[in-house]
Amino acid sequence: MSEVPPTRMNQQVYKGKKKAAESGHKLLKKKADALKVKFRDYAKMIAETKGTMASDATTAFFSLTQAEYAAGNFKQKVAEGTLTARVRVGAGIDNVAGVKLPVFSVYETGAVADNQSLGLVGGGKKIVAVRDKFTVFLNQLIKLASLQTSFVTLDEAMKVTNRRVNALENVTIPKIQVVLDYIERELDELEREDFTRLKLVQSKKEVAEKLAQAEATKLRKVELLAKANMPNDEDITAQFCAQDDEDVVF
Amino acid sequence: MTTKVQMVHGGMTDFNIYHGYPEALVRGMRCSFLSDADYHHLTQCESLDDIKLNLAESDYSAAVADSDNLTPSGFQGVAVQKMVTEFTYLRTQCVEPLSTFLDFITYEYMIENIMLLLKGALSGRNINELLAQCHPLGMFKASTMRSIPTFEPNARGFADLYQTVLVDTPVGPYFAMFLQESSEKGGGAVRNVIEEVEIEIIKSSLIKYWIEDFYQFCMKLGGDTAEIMGELLKVRADTNAINITLNSFGTSLNEPAMRISDRKRLYPSVGHLYPAGTAMLADVSNEEELGRVLELFPAYSGIWNIHSTGNDKSIDDAFYERDVQQLELAFEGQMHFGVFYAYVKLKEQEIRNLVWITECVLQQQKDEIEKFVPVFSFHAPWRGGKKK
Repeated sequence: MSEVPPTRMNQQVYKGKKKAAESGHKLLKKKADALKVKFRDYAKMIAETKGTMASDATTAFFSLTQAEYAAGNFKQKVAEGTLTARVRVGAGIDNVAGVKLPVFSVYETGAVADNQSLGLVGGGKKIVAVRDKFTVFLNQLIKLASLQTSFVTLDEAMKVTNRRVNALENVTIPKIQVVLDYIERELDELEREDFTRLKLVQSKKEVAEKLAQAEATKLRKVELLAKANMPNDEDITAQFCAQDDEDVVF
Repeated sequence: MTTKVQMVHGGMTDFNIYHGYPEALVRGMRCSFLSDADYHHLTQCESLDDIKLNLAESDYSAAVADSDNLTPSGFQGVAVQKMVTEFTYLRTQCVEPLSTFLDFITYEYMIENIMLLLKGALSGRNINELLAQCHPLGMFKASTMRSIPTFEPNARGFADLYQTVLVDTPVGPYFAMFLQESSEKGGGAVRNVIEEVEIEIIKSSLIKYWIEDFYQFCMKLGGDTAEIMGELLKVRADTNAINITLNSFGTSLNEPAMRISDRKRLYPSVGHLYPAGTAMLADVSNEEELGRVLELFPAYSGIWNIHSTGNDKSIDDAFYERDVQQLELAFEGQMHFGVFYAYVKLKEQEIRNLVWITECVLQQQKDEIEKFVPVFSFHAPWRGGKKK
């Protein structure tokens, strides 16, 4: 409150600052609202996916049990074989109201499934079923992972934005407002001082003028009186004033 | 002067002299199978602890009492170990030709183990891990097994591996035949064959040779063994052929070029379907055609109908049921070796059932839990009882 000199220029400067702060505040609030909407959407999607995932997991693992019943222990054979990934996860970036969220996308590399002839002597159909069910399960998992990472990032971004909005609302703008009020007050006071000073000076001048006028009238009176009190014999010379005639040069 | 008595195998006169004790043992072990009541209790269990409790009352009591491992694979390991112990005991008690017969039974598992070790060696896995995953019935000398993954994975190494190690194993001849066939066709070295051809195809070829070899052996023995084992092996060969055909749809084996050269080579040359059936199967390209071919064989048309209509049962279930029915029949006669084969296979089925039940209990899938084929059940459909 003390550092800012209360000048008109400063008042302009601070008015500008307040406008900037207010428009920034409005924009940030819009961003926070957009983020909140997206946040709720993500939360709903995550709840849905988790629900289906539980049942997917049970079906996938049960189909594995069925396949093992039909085809014997093939887990080792899969593990010992060459493992080239048939499905890969790609990382992408999704832009939501200016916030960059990580997303995972699934893509097939087109590599042929290595263990095609796994259930050749018994249980082949079941093994194909296991492959399908686990692919579905895998897709759900990747989707869930993508949603959850986005959710966490979104949460962070929302916290930051809300903090900034609150900071603007409760700290910055009031501060600027305080300074502006101070400048306003000081300027008013200066104006009032000037005004009072002027008034005082004016009144004093008036008084002085009155006095001067009073003096002037008094002098006049005295002169007139002096003129009226002149002797009868006309003193021509007395009447004669050197200055009356221009041609007379004495 | 004594006339040379023709010793017919399986004859009532001499069978018991040589093989009476092992057969008695096997018949005693037949009582160790889980009964209907046991299965009933097991399906009512709510948790794995209950299962352990129930198993403690059956023949598995000693086995599960020691283990703290309560997972389905734990139960499986324990059960397999028990079977292996019993089998090894049997093996030590018998003489020729029963000992060769029992060895034949183990060759199947040996083939699987060798394939696992070779494939693991190619991918560079740790030898101890690989050994731990081998089926215990198919182990041969530990030194041999250890040396398999230590060979260098290049052409020279594999040729060495074959000549020094595999040739000495009992399954060596099967490898020899397989490699000969492949090199005739492809002209590649040993290593290329093992790398390029998928492990399952190699295994199917080896199993084919094994079935044929086993069949020849049983036929040479003659008597009841030839009859019963012949039937069982024929059924096994047909099951393999049908499964290979069915499961090859959608893979590279189904392309016309591959069908004749590769797929046909996987069909064993024993079995009811050989030779006419397998020739027809080689041309089949989808399920419809397969159905048409199987209609010609009454035994398999029934199974095929179950596959094509029923959603509840799959073709594997149908095959298992048929297998159990025939294996149980092996126990009906005496004086033949079929009981030993049947014992091992039925024990395998029981272990499968046990794992299925434990998994269902663990995953809370109560409605699926009944889908197993109990062994020696009074309620089996072929015993005239209704399945409960």
